[in-house]
Amino acid sequence: MNPPMTPQDYATAVREALADLPARDRDALLEDLDEHLAEVAAEPGMSLEERLGSPEAYAAELRAAYGGRPSDGGSSLGGRLRESMSRAVRRVHTRLLVLPPYRQAAAFAPELRPAWWVLRGYAIALGVLAPISAPGLIPGDLPAWVFTLAVIWGSVWLGRRGRARPSRSGRVLLLGVNLLAAVLVITAMADVPSTSSRSVAFDYGPQPEVYAPSMRVERVNRVASLGGDVYNIFPYAEDGTPLRNVRLYDQDGNPIMVSPEMFGQTIDVPCDGEPPIRHAYPLPLRPVEYRAGATCAPAAPAPTSSPASSPTPSAAPSPSPSAEPSPSVTPSRRHR
Amino acid sequence: MDSSQLLKGVLDLAVLAVLAERDSYGYDVVRRLREAGLEDVGDASVYGTLRRLFKAGALTSYVVASDEGPHRKYYGLNDVGRSLLQTSAKTWTSFAATMNDLLKEVDPG
Repeated sequence: MNPPMTPQDYATAVREALADLPARDRDALLEDLDEHLAEVAAEPGMSLEERLGSPEAYAAELRAAYGGRPSDGGSSLGGRLRESMSRAVRRVHTRLLVLPPYRQAAAFAPELRPAWWVLRGYAIALGVLAPISAPGLIPGDLPAWVFTLAVIWGSVWLGRRGRARPSRSGRVLLLGVNLLAAVLVITAMADVPSTSSRSVAFDYGPQPEVYAPSMRVERVNRVASLGGDVYNIFPYAEDGTPLRNVRLYDQDGNPIMVSPEMFGQTIDVPCDGEPPIRHAYPLPLRPVEYRAGATCAPAAPAPTSSPASSPTPSAAPSPSPSAEPSPSVTPSRRHR
Repeated sequence: MDSSQLLKGVLDLAVLAVLAERDSYGYDVVRRLREAGLEDVGDASVYGTLRRLFKAGALTSYVVASDEGPHRKYYGLNDVGRSLLQTSAKTWTSFAATMNDLLKEVDPG
């Protein structure tokens, strides 16, 4: 049998077992280990190992008591942060379970997961398509639909697989995808009112302030009263000459409007002029075949259009002022 | 249930309580905890707890020379340690009352 360890031997073995700790932590922890072990060894009867166990076990116990630091030492901060975050979430969850509505929501939430997978794929597909396709909440054409369905398929596949095999990188990827999709969905929902108000301003042409947004409802009524399939009106004078720019009103003085958009037609907006009045008939219509990016038609009789009016003013790249190097930014950033 | 699992959660409180009675050096704290009935308490656990509480600023420490044997590092409570003991004791008291309440129908046999 080996001779019993001296306190110095034992302390050295403990230090070796804790060699992975940062030097400052280790020194602070083991500062008076030798004196302490000498005290223990002074007790008669048993050797240090019999009394305290192996130096490795002693070191592990010290490590646990000193801060519960994992033995790899390095990732402790992120790990502890994550752990305390998830603990806080769990605590909030437990507390909210007292409320019956929350309890019910928590019970059926897992069943909504597949629905989220579909919505997630849809949102991401539209987010990818947004820069190259017509803005809107549904895919514009057949390739866009095929792409969207493919992404939804991928999203559902990812959702099913993520549950079966939650690997670390898979979880991170999934979290990123979910966050992106959530941002897209929220952005789309926040964007809806602004797009519709934009179309209101467009629909009512140059007098948006006269016709309040509530007119949208009225317009729908007028279309109905005109009959389901009327989307343009061609007035003629008594002698058979076609009239232009005839403004129509009903008995209450409300402008009578139609919805050519419901019939695949759109109003031709001249590039260098004001948008046509929506109740001046006949409306200059053309079938919808261009993307919404080309919202104006070059004035055919006047080929010398002014250079200021570009066909797609919104799509033209404009240098953003924040991207330009400014002398005041660089030094202040360097100070940090 | 293994009582050493329970001890892990309250070792800080136990060490603070022992030091509130009087200043002690490491091995003395171990001995007093065992005499008080915590026979399972590990030497390394107590030593590590003392060092952690000291690093956290809850303890003072001073070295006392001894004639026979090594110098001893004594630990005692400072104001931080005393208030930590107070709040921890309050937490423990209400926790223990809750547990006793939960278990009052249980006959330990």
